[in-house]
Amino acid sequence: MSKTLEKLKASRYYGLVLLGAMLLFFYGVFKILTPGNFGSLSNLYTYLQSSIIYSVGGCGLYFIVVMGLFDFAVGANIVLSSIVGVILSSKFGYAGFILGCLGCGTLIGFLIGMLYNNLNVPSMIVTVGLMLIFESVAVFVAGGVKQTLAPELRFFSGAPGNIILAGLAFLLMYFILNYTKIGTYCNAIGSNEFTAKNMGINVKKYKLIGFMLLHFFVGIMAILTVSYGTTMTALTGMSTMSRNFQPLMGTFFGVAFRKYKMPITAIIVGEFIISIIFNGFVALGAPTTIQNVVTGGALLVIVSLTARGGKGSVVK
Amino acid sequence: MDKKPLLIAEHIDKRFGITHAVNDVSLTIDAGEIRGLIGENGSGKSTFSQMLCGIYTIGGGSFTLDGEKLHIRNQVEANNVGIAIIVQEMGTLSGLTVAENIFLGHEEPFMHFGIKDTGAMNREAQRLLNEYGFGRIKAADMIDHYNFEDRKLVEIVKATYSKPKILVVDETTTALSQNGRLELYKIMDAVRADNRTVIFISHDLGEVLAHTDSVSVLRDGEYIDTVRSSDVTEDDLKRLMVGREIGSAYYRTDYGQKISEEVVLKVENVSVPKEIRNISFSLHKGEILGFGGLSECGMHEVGKAIFGASWDRSGSVTLADGTVISNIPTAIRHSIAYASKDRDNESIILNESIRNNVVLPSIDDLANRGLLNQRKLTQFAEKHAADMQTKMQNVNQFVSDLSGGNKQKVVLARWIGKGSDILVLDSPTRGIDVKVKQAIYALMSELKEQGKSIIMISEEIPELLGMADRILIMKDGVINGEFLRHPELSEEDLIEKMV
Repeated sequence: MSKTLEKLKASRYYGLVLLGAMLLFFYGVFKILTPGNFGSLSNLYTYLQSSIIYSVGGCGLYFIVVMGLFDFAVGANIVLSSIVGVILSSKFGYAGFILGCLGCGTLIGFLIGMLYNNLNVPSMIVTVGLMLIFESVAVFVAGGVKQTLAPELRFFSGAPGNIILAGLAFLLMYFILNYTKIGTYCNAIGSNEFTAKNMGINVKKYKLIGFMLLHFFVGIMAILTVSYGTTMTALTGMSTMSRNFQPLMGTFFGVAFRKYKMPITAIIVGEFIISIIFNGFVALGAPTTIQNVVTGGALLVIVSLTARGGKGSVVK
Repeated sequence: MDKKPLLIAEHIDKRFGITHAVNDVSLTIDAGEIRGLIGENGSGKSTFSQMLCGIYTIGGGSFTLDGEKLHIRNQVEANNVGIAIIVQEMGTLSGLTVAENIFLGHEEPFMHFGIKDTGAMNREAQRLLNEYGFGRIKAADMIDHYNFEDRKLVEIVKATYSKPKILVVDETTTALSQNGRLELYKIMDAVRADNRTVIFISHDLGEVLAHTDSVSVLRDGEYIDTVRSSDVTEDDLKRLMVGREIGSAYYRTDYGQKISEEVVLKVENVSVPKEIRNISFSLHKGEILGFGGLSECGMHEVGKAIFGASWDRSGSVTLADGTVISNIPTAIRHSIAYASKDRDNESIILNESIRNNVVLPSIDDLANRGLLNQRKLTQFAEKHAADMQTKMQNVNQFVSDLSGGNKQKVVLARWIGKGSDILVLDSPTRGIDVKVKQAIYALMSELKEQGKSIIMISEEIPELLGMADRILIMKDGVINGEFLRHPELSEEDLIEKMV
């Protein structure tokens, strides 16, 4: 009996039930507290549309977080890629916009990966340094002017454009994780880099691929972000730092639910839960500071419930 | 029938800094042979085999396999030419499925234009697992859902499914239960029957003699001799390994010594969920109390529970003066020492110096009003490491550079230095060569004479019979039998209570 229970607890269904239960819990709490202005079907659809933008970034971050790496330059890349995309869109339309965002994003991923591999310093330090540089480059590229996406190029600003693009990103992520060696090798490197090396895995190559994939997804996120907000302003002084964390929250969900073999679902649902919490507080009229405190707290609670090591285990 | 040489090692050499780990070793191994490779810790046997398998680069000399000179840079290249290894420690990777682990680095048969056919990979892995008789392990499951032994079985499948010409089994059996060992022996026999070769590394000389055709001996990195297994005894092998006669003073020879009435530690109804249930016993002054059983019987958890290292323990552990041991700091403060079975992860800090490892629990005692005198710390470490005859350059050497036996000496030096009166030693001679074993047994006898009490947890029955005043046998988390030291006590008596 206990063996069956253990088997069930290790299954994908258990993971789905856990995610569903968390979603229902937070939805239920806010629905009870503010039944009038929270949680209608159309509201939920709006929350979902905003959360899928972060989910796309969360998918990208997954590749490097499972390898034990980190990237603080995600926010800076969103800003820079958006600006490059918008500038190119004025000359080449959608092709310039899409290729500008994706190309700039991936190129930045390549630069980060190359520098990380060759400097041999922790990814956190490399990406903080590069974040400052990319922020300045964005100001330079934008010429200090707010960049606005032309109204006729805003297919991805709302449904169905944003849903289609994000859906394609999730499918791509699913394909990479399940039908290429990249997912397996990223997990192997994160588990034991030395052993992975001994298995013939070119660790540096796959770390570079990880960074490039991350920033390719950041490029997609840039398309969705600037389409949703229609403008992008380049700012310096680590102002892009806050953009790193929302997608990262989804990644935490993905890593936590990796054991149930459903990281993408967990990233999407996880971001949706975070979005529900944010919007729940907005509906309650809570000040932003309180919203941040509770959202941070909720993240800690959720990750503790799902990814916490056993009592007595070593956690770093 | 004349056998043909499969592997020729010529003048193999390797240095790590000033340590000459393998010194000009030349030997030949035939096809269709199981060759034992033995030596003390630090004799170079693992370094030699890891060079063959591409884990270390070759420092000098060459390997020739089946007439071809080898130029191997990593394990996959070794696999590709037909050499595979099963290592002592965990060789599978978390976060991957069983199938992904089996085919890691060898996914090509399942790749079509860069796209991986996961279904086909899972089916093939499951077919292999079924073929090996490990069908209860599911290829599509995450490897993390399986215990150490099952993961070791997956590793065996991974190392052998491609039918390597040479299979290196590097001290793998210590991680396996009796059933797992039997499975491994069967696989080794099958490799030999297929005219392929096994290099079998083990410290269990009885096992080596029982399952090999010949045995090569290394000592201090140098090749000593190769003998036919059927022509030698364990004592002959010990002599070759150590370079002198050994054996007469291996275990204690005294019998009938009365155990002191004085109880130093009382364990009452100690339970740890899923591990042990209602364990009660008393430890007496000057007693060596042995704990035995199959590897999953719970005996290793008993050691942790006594030391206060099991977070969800219930029941009580009390010293003679009434002090209750509920956590590790209390245990250490009250003169209890613990050496874990998992030496590298739980007993020593690998990337630290011998000095810092030895002084760790004694820092408060060595401090003067909270201030540390570096010279005093060094002298303290030097004294106790030297007392243990630790083979080292100096106490500033990192522990990661030491052999298994010398790491264990560092652990013991730490607790002897602390002046602990109760020592809980879990598998104190695991993976340790005969010479260091002898030194550790001698130390245990000496400590006993000094009135120290020892709890020795061991999976080696001869060790329990040879060293313990009293033996408690565990089965399924409970104590299932108690034996007093007696010359007539046999392995069979103990095994009967274990299974």
